[in-house]
Amino acid sequence: MSSKQHILNALKSAAMAPHAMPTIDVAPRIDDLVGQFEANLITVAGTLHREGGLVNLQATVDEHIAQGMQVISMVEGISGNREVSATAHELSDIDYAVIPGDCGVAENGAIWVNTKNLGHRVTPFICENLLLVIEAKSIVANMHQATSLMTLAPGEFGTFIAGPSKTADIEQALVVGAHGACSLNVYLT
Amino acid sequence: MKIALFIPCLVNQMVPEVGIATLELLEKLGHQVILPSGQTCCGQPMTNSGCFNEAKKTTLKLLNAFKGVECDAIVCPAASCLVAAKENFHEFDDSPEAQAVIAKLYELTEFLHDVAPIPAFSKPFPHKISLQMSCHGIRMLDLATPSEQMGPRKNKFEAVLAAIPEIEIVYPDKLDECCGFGGTFAVDEGAVSAKMGKDKAQAHAATGAKYAVGFDPSCLLHIDGMVRRQKLPIETRHIAQILNAVL
Amino acid sequence: MSTSKSNVHAHKAEIFCKDESRVDWHSKALWTLREKRDRAAGSIPEWEQLRQIGSEMKLHTLTHLTEYLEEFEQNCIKNNIKVHWAKDGAEHNRIVHEILAKHHVKKVVKSKSMLTEECHMNPYLEERGIEVIDTDLGERIIQLAEMPPSHIVVPAIHMKKEEVGDLFHEKLGTNAGASDPLYLTRAARQHLREKFLSADAAMTGVNMAIADKGAVVVCTNEGNADMGANLPKLQLHSMGIDKIVPNLESAAVILRTLARNATGQPVTTYSSFYRGPQDGGEMHVIIVDNGRTDMLKDKILAEALKCIRCGGCLNTCPVYRRSGGHSYNYTIPGPIGIAVGAQHDDTNSIAWACTLCGSCSYVCPTKVPLDKIIHHHRRLKAEAGKLPYGKSNYMPLVGKFMASETALNCSMGIARMALKILPGSLLKPFSGAWGKYRELPVAPNSSFEAWFKKNRG
Repeated sequence: MSSKQHILNALKSAAMAPHAMPTIDVAPRIDDLVGQFEANLITVAGTLHREGGLVNLQATVDEHIAQGMQVISMVEGISGNREVSATAHELSDIDYAVIPGDCGVAENGAIWVNTKNLGHRVTPFICENLLLVIEAKSIVANMHQATSLMTLAPGEFGTFIAGPSKTADIEQALVVGAHGACSLNVYLT
Repeated sequence: MKIALFIPCLVNQMVPEVGIATLELLEKLGHQVILPSGQTCCGQPMTNSGCFNEAKKTTLKLLNAFKGVECDAIVCPAASCLVAAKENFHEFDDSPEAQAVIAKLYELTEFLHDVAPIPAFSKPFPHKISLQMSCHGIRMLDLATPSEQMGPRKNKFEAVLAAIPEIEIVYPDKLDECCGFGGTFAVDEGAVSAKMGKDKAQAHAATGAKYAVGFDPSCLLHIDGMVRRQKLPIETRHIAQILNAVL
Repeated sequence: MSTSKSNVHAHKAEIFCKDESRVDWHSKALWTLREKRDRAAGSIPEWEQLRQIGSEMKLHTLTHLTEYLEEFEQNCIKNNIKVHWAKDGAEHNRIVHEILAKHHVKKVVKSKSMLTEECHMNPYLEERGIEVIDTDLGERIIQLAEMPPSHIVVPAIHMKKEEVGDLFHEKLGTNAGASDPLYLTRAARQHLREKFLSADAAMTGVNMAIADKGAVVVCTNEGNADMGANLPKLQLHSMGIDKIVPNLESAAVILRTLARNATGQPVTTYSSFYRGPQDGGEMHVIIVDNGRTDMLKDKILAEALKCIRCGGCLNTCPVYRRSGGHSYNYTIPGPIGIAVGAQHDDTNSIAWACTLCGSCSYVCPTKVPLDKIIHHHRRLKAEAGKLPYGKSNYMPLVGKFMASETALNCSMGIARMALKILPGSLLKPFSGAWGKYRELPVAPNSSFEAWFKKNRG
């Protein structure tokens, strides 16, 4: 007997009576979605740029480039100084990655990033600093709404990103910048 | 009302003053109070150790003491024993007679809050008291909303005491953390139990209250042992003793 | 694990309690997490509703596991994910090794997985010449210190920053005496960055496996799972059969409670959904039973499988905070560790490392009735004749004694008398663990019953 069959057979002796799937009907908090989003983004150590949109972002990117930084942009209309590399490993010296997010989540400051157009899935993690771009109107109230809108086609990889990477594994002291990006700036368009 | 007292073995033998205060305060409130004979242990020390066979005889004996007793309510001044009695009666006897007994079981605070509220007090109690929110009363008898639970709050224990004129009610830090008694836990896990008890006794004393007041005599006995070992400037009292003093 | 007295919970806890200031430090660190959790949970009005939905959703899934596991497998195959089934830890380790050996893997980066701890996978692979690098900072610390985790979310919570500093000085060459968490974390980042870039394969645990999508969800704060899984071309994910959820809608419920209950964050930094391998890569999922179907045969124990491993029950547990994660004779400590581990505990003591206070059950985001499960484990142990602390000798006597009013009244009368007339110094040695730590009760003059007969009789 295969192990799969062995496990499925064992499940026939399970003792609990069948339980119905509950209805998931949770009232969303819909007031001031951008304000909620910003407040939560701050609690997860991210920064929101409400005004200026892509023009503001390009100016920031230009400054970084002028200082000798390596910037890769996957956002249309924003140009960096690096192209998608042949291997993911070659991205290890990227200082700033500019990446589009599909939607923001007001209740926790998270942003859904589908990696299908990034070239390499590791881009938002391997960069030293992350710049995410989302449309203000894409911000939804909570994760129930976000998971109903998010795109994740067969074979794809996507991630909710809430702030820069962080850890508190040494005596509960919060340190921003563990293995992923050390900072997160979010630009609204 | 006609009330049958359920006096657990610990109260009967070690803190009879809690039984006396319960009896007296219920009488002052105009109730007729009886003490059915033949009461034994509720079986909690055994069932909490997993020993259900060993608990059966004493549990059924206690249940029998109340079967057929004519009364409106069975009132117990010890939350943990009451919870255990309810569960163990149910475990060992599912007859209608047993159900009738279970349906009448009340912990004292619960009885005074839900069934027969105190209309008025005759004296003030001009002291600060720190409430001992014992686990089984809070988390199994619903005497108060546990700190872990979110949403609307209720607190029957505080509500009953807060009605006393001039009383000042405070809470220890980590207000409903376990005191570490836990029945045989106090002996099996002596070091952890003692540390929990010490922390709890110190938290009560740190409020500056004159009394740590609770509804569970076993927890109070544990905290009292800690208070005296640590020589802390606070004393333990059962809610029945406070209420009896101001009625 | 040995059955010797040294592994008995009370014994290990007593040793832990000897350094009281450290107990206070440990307890405070964990209570801080509980306080953060309370604030996070309290900030969303639907918290209790989410707990109820979470509980029912998990109950539904656990009672329809066959259908969901098969659906999950079929959808994974469509997404080019290879699915393996393992009855137990040994088979899991064998499967992992076969995959790695086939790809000539020498170095694996692994993010946190309590399942691989449960299967003791690291030593198995290391014995076969494969280097396994734990990449979660806490896990890396304890791996370097050659210790098991003491907590399921913050595995190095028992270590002081100075101890981490000394360890990193020895193993990673950080400055002697340096203990600043920022400095040490940056050093680990650099050290592990090199490991990520040179690894041949990556492994992660699984927070949720989504049946109707054929996807696995991995949550981290550090980004270590994603740095790992998205660099080498080979990624492996190990999951217990209990990690299945029906759909994205269900996953959303858990994503809302997991981090809030764990650390008080509104969500983990990264909640990553893998629905297939990267271009040119290979993705494997290993579905593991290892005793879970046995637990499902007992309807009380079965509810332990609703657990989403947030660690909230450890943080609130007054016993865990004062005895430390290494005092439990099982990989997972605290209330959930007792619930899923007591049957494997050959010291038969961890089921008694609990006052049955019930705080854990109220903290739990999926309403696992932990205190009831622990109570049930005690009953199972008693029925199997496996009682600790001499209970099998004295409990029958207590049962007889308590059931007899005469014996009870008579001997308690004597005890009251003894408390009255004998000096404390003489009583203490006889009163055992009680008198060692506490003053003995003040003896009353008579029992309540005697008083009642005299005054109301």
